[in-house]
Amino acid sequence: MTILLLFLILALGSFALLSRDLLHSVIALSALSMLSALMFTILKAPDVAITEAAVGAGISTIIFVWAIRHTRRRSKD
Amino acid sequence: MKRTLFIIKLIFILLILALAIFPVILSSHSWPVVSRDYLYENALSDTGAVNTVSSIYLGYRAMDTLGETLVLLVSITGTMGILINLGRENEEEEAVSFSLAPEKRATNAQRTHLLEVVASKLGPVVLLFGFYVMLYGHISPGGGFQGGVIVASAIVFLALGTETQTKLTNTNVLGRIESLSFLVLIIAATSGVFFESGFFGNPIKSGSSLSANFIILLNIIIGLKVGTSIAVMCIAMMGGRRGH
Repeated sequence: MTILLLFLILALGSFALLSRDLLHSVIALSALSMLSALMFTILKAPDVAITEAAVGAGISTIIFVWAIRHTRRRSKD
Repeated sequence: MKRTLFIIKLIFILLILALAIFPVILSSHSWPVVSRDYLYENALSDTGAVNTVSSIYLGYRAMDTLGETLVLLVSITGTMGILINLGRENEEEEAVSFSLAPEKRATNAQRTHLLEVVASKLGPVVLLFGFYVMLYGHISPGGGFQGGVIVASAIVFLALGTETQTKLTNTNVLGRIESLSFLVLIIAATSGVFFESGFFGNPIKSGSSLSANFIILLNIIIGLKVGTSIAVMCIAMMGGRRGH
C-alpha cells in the first residue's frame, strides 16, 4: 500500500514538473498532497496529515490558482 | 530544455542509488531510544500537557511555535505590502483586474453557480471542523496551527461562496483579531515567568487537573492568529480588500 502510494506520488510529481499547462500542475500538486496526507495517516502521524491536507490541498492551491490567473504566459506553445 | 532533462535524470539516478544504499547503512545502527524514554517518563509532568505531542510543541519547543507565528506574521505583512502597492499602481489602468472593487469586476469572473453552491454549503461545516481540531488539540491529533489553517480555508470558502458580506469575511475585523491574538500570545508566553516556570512555561502547577488549560489557551490563540492571518491574505488577494 505504501509503495503504491509512493509510486503514485512520484508519478504526480513528475507530471506536475513536466506538464505544459500550469493549472494542470497545480491540480496534480493538490492530488499529491492528498495522497501524502493519506500516507502520513498510514504511517501514524495524523497531525502531520491534517496539516498536509489543509495547507497543501486547501490554501496553497487557492494561492497558486490566484497567481496563475493574474500572471501572463510568455511562451506561445 | 535538454540540460534540465539531463539534470532531472541525474537526480533520479542519485535518488534510486540512495534508496538502495540507505537501508544497508541504517541497519547497522540501533534505533535511538533515549529521548523517547525520557519523554515517556517526564513529558506530561514537566509541561502539564495531556498528550506527548502537545507537550513537545507547546512545552519543550514552544519557542519554535512562537517563531513559526512570527514567520507567518512577517510573510503576511510582506504580502499585504506588495498587494497594496500593486493596487495603487493599477488604479489608472483598469484593464488589469488586480484588486478591483466588486462592482467594477467583470461579472462571473470569480463567481460561478458551481462555486457558490459548493463553497457556501461547505464553508460552515469546515469552519466547525476547524474549531473542533483547534479546541481538542490537547487530547487528539491536531492543534492550533492545523485548526487555524482549516478555519482559514473555511473563511475563504465563505468569502467565495456568499454574496452577502459578513463580519467574518471583513478584512478589518480579521486583522484586528489577528493582532489581538498575537498580543495575547506574548502575554501568555511571559506569564510563566511570574510563576517560576520560565518563558513559555506552564503557569499552572503541573499535576493539578487545571494544568491542561494553558495548552488549550495557547491552542486557541495560535489557531485564531494563523486562521485570521491566512484568511486576510487570501481575501486581499481575491480583491475583497475594501471593508463593507
